[in-house]
Amino acid sequence: MRPGAVVEVDRNTPPTLFHYGEGFRLERLPLGSRIIYPPDPMDPIGHPERAIRRALTKPIEDDPLKDLLRPGMKLTIAFDDLSLPLPPMASPDVRQLVIEEVVDMAAHAGIEDIQLIAAIGLHRKMTADEIRHIVGDRVFTAFWPDRLYNHDAEDPADNVQIGKTSNGEEVWLNRRALESDLVVYVNLTLVPMDGGQKSMSTGLGCYRSIKEHHTVHTLLNSNSYMHPPDSALHHSCIRQGQIIEDAVRVFHIETSLNNHAFPAIANFLQKRETDWTTSDQAAFYALKQATDLAPPDLKRTMFHSMLAPYGMTSVQAGQVDKVHDKTLEAVRSQMLVPVEGQTDVVTMGIPYLGPYNPNSILNPVLVVCLGLGYLFNLYKNKPVVREGGVVIMSHPTRYEFHSVHHPSYIDFYDEVLADTTDSAEIEKRYEKRFAEDPWYRQMYQQSYAYHGVHPFYAWYWAAHALAYLGDVIVVGGERSTVHRLGFKAATTLEDAFEMAEQTVGRYPSVSHLRTPPLLLAEVE
Amino acid sequence: MAGPAWYSGSVGLSALVRSLGGALDDYRKLRRGFHWDTPRPAEWPEASNAVPDRPTTLGWARMEPVRSLRWALQKGMLMPFTEVMAHPKVEGEEWVQELHRPVILASNHTSHADTPLLLYALGDRVRERTVVAAAADYFYSRRVIGFLTSLWLNTFPFARTGGPQEVLNRSSQLLKSGWNLLVFPEGTRSDTGALQEFRPGVGHLATENRVDVIPMHVRGAHRIMPKGRNVPLPAQATVRIGKPLKVGEGETSRSFAERVEKAVHELADGAESAQVTGSWIDRWQATAPRKTRR
Repeated sequence: MRPGAVVEVDRNTPPTLFHYGEGFRLERLPLGSRIIYPPDPMDPIGHPERAIRRALTKPIEDDPLKDLLRPGMKLTIAFDDLSLPLPPMASPDVRQLVIEEVVDMAAHAGIEDIQLIAAIGLHRKMTADEIRHIVGDRVFTAFWPDRLYNHDAEDPADNVQIGKTSNGEEVWLNRRALESDLVVYVNLTLVPMDGGQKSMSTGLGCYRSIKEHHTVHTLLNSNSYMHPPDSALHHSCIRQGQIIEDAVRVFHIETSLNNHAFPAIANFLQKRETDWTTSDQAAFYALKQATDLAPPDLKRTMFHSMLAPYGMTSVQAGQVDKVHDKTLEAVRSQMLVPVEGQTDVVTMGIPYLGPYNPNSILNPVLVVCLGLGYLFNLYKNKPVVREGGVVIMSHPTRYEFHSVHHPSYIDFYDEVLADTTDSAEIEKRYEKRFAEDPWYRQMYQQSYAYHGVHPFYAWYWAAHALAYLGDVIVVGGERSTVHRLGFKAATTLEDAFEMAEQTVGRYPSVSHLRTPPLLLAEVE
Repeated sequence: MAGPAWYSGSVGLSALVRSLGGALDDYRKLRRGFHWDTPRPAEWPEASNAVPDRPTTLGWARMEPVRSLRWALQKGMLMPFTEVMAHPKVEGEEWVQELHRPVILASNHTSHADTPLLLYALGDRVRERTVVAAAADYFYSRRVIGFLTSLWLNTFPFARTGGPQEVLNRSSQLLKSGWNLLVFPEGTRSDTGALQEFRPGVGHLATENRVDVIPMHVRGAHRIMPKGRNVPLPAQATVRIGKPLKVGEGETSRSFAERVEKAVHELADGAESAQVTGSWIDRWQATAPRKTRR
């Protein structure tokens, strides 16, 4: 595997690819800028089924799964939802392979009472097709819909308070999971933020327990939440997870993937520009022209039908914390790129997809969440941009929302952001009303809407970046929308650099995050 | 960049010209930036493919837009042509109408016409989800032929001479991903049209992946295009589809392969035994969660 790299731009450097929503831009960065490239994908495990079987037979600090299963017991299998991985994985999804193996063992043990729960937390419910894609035909046909379903964080009968942490944080859990003799959690970890104790405490929790750590205060003290030891968010999740472990027997299974995020047709997105072959250049040109000309709906259909040929790089099972340590090792060895020092400006292309818009629209609030939340936080030690520096993002940032998936986002944008963009102020004045609104609750429970409070969390996700940065500039963004978000709009990258100089001074140092595929910058 | 596009009708010809200008601009950026006219700069790192081997062996033929293209080719050309050439009669199609899980379809093999006839018999929905195992040494020794066969019939290279584990892994991937697998357990076309001995691979595949096998039999394809002839001639053909066979508790792959062979023989003989007909209850049970062997 070729490691990640930091490449300095000179006169011969080819133009650099910027994601631009459902499209691309090819930009020339100033001479002397540096481009941070992710490592190439690790070689995947050749026979994942065998590796899974081995992990279940020889778990870490736990008994083999087979020994925990007995007839007459109540077994619950919970699994991560469609927010992972991005883009969705080409069949078979690793969760399918793991669940099939666990169900096989349960069938062999003669367990009648088995249920599978999609641990969606406050995310939208998945459709039948989306669940089928994750668990595969065989599991879906056997269990849907009575014994394979989405968790419902708003059903009072389905959620039980099981205690409080030493810091006074409430801990709630799905009733079926709590009443089970054994919960097998099937996780997929793409970035270090995922997995571990966070899986159950958020995936099977409800607003009252999730709000304990999804706060502005916690996120301002998570530097970064992509590095759990420095993340207040994760510390809180771990405290909640320990209460859960005391209340219910958990057997935790985690998998990690390489960063092979794009199918063959879009190989050029996977490669550094200097690696582009003639056919990569031709594919880029064809796709660029198609996305420049196609109507937004068609482009969205094209992009969201792309499935990633991810390969599994590790699987481990057993006690949650021990398992998670091993998983993080595997994830870091795929993502880490050593970077020397910070720069005044960081540029990044915002792609079409984030964790909260699979098969949906990346609305303006989610653009902020993805750029200043997820991509900004892809660091260890300290951010790539210096404090008071400027982030330049490229995205069309249209006033565009999915009315079924994101109803509360529309009101958040129209009502809350029209008033203030200050995270603390927003939390204080608006969060509770949205979180308890009966109409949003109804749409979360009966339709496919994200929870009423979800746009707040998406905004808080960027709280650290918003407090840290001197300015944010969006290249190619719709001017009125960008202004509503509290940022500046630029037509071209050159204009954006001119504007950035007003904040950070003449001749700024520049880094470009060439992601996705994802990377984790280890800044010295 | 962010303004309305020419097709929206609100800005007309000027936007179209701007779009074309953008295309020209992109072309120039590529030409200059990637040094089309000059040698590759020495300071560029050595080029790397950066794309690992596919973690799955599904292949390009199972991806969009190839799937849609093949659907159109088969629906618009292959199926009408098969209809005209063979007037196929299909018996037992109810066994493939309610498939909820991937299955292996095992048929006798006398002619290149078998595959279109079998695909015809499966119907649109199942055909769209069926991959055909094609002899790697025959169809894939030349890239163009391999490409066209994969595009046209959704085949994948099935190594008749490779190690059984490799063949199993590739086929298992496809089954796990929800594709039905059409195989010819005899391994090659029959010279005479008579059934040959089945190889045990079909049993290995079924027991390893715990999937059902649907026996099928084609009668008459031998007359349409026998081994050694390259041009098809019109002749009547019949495709018979049998009841799905399940791997029994403790059954070995070899004995299961023998059972599949027997079922195909019964279809060839036209036997109407319970073994190949069954009742709706059998069909119902065939889709129930499987008790697996460990």
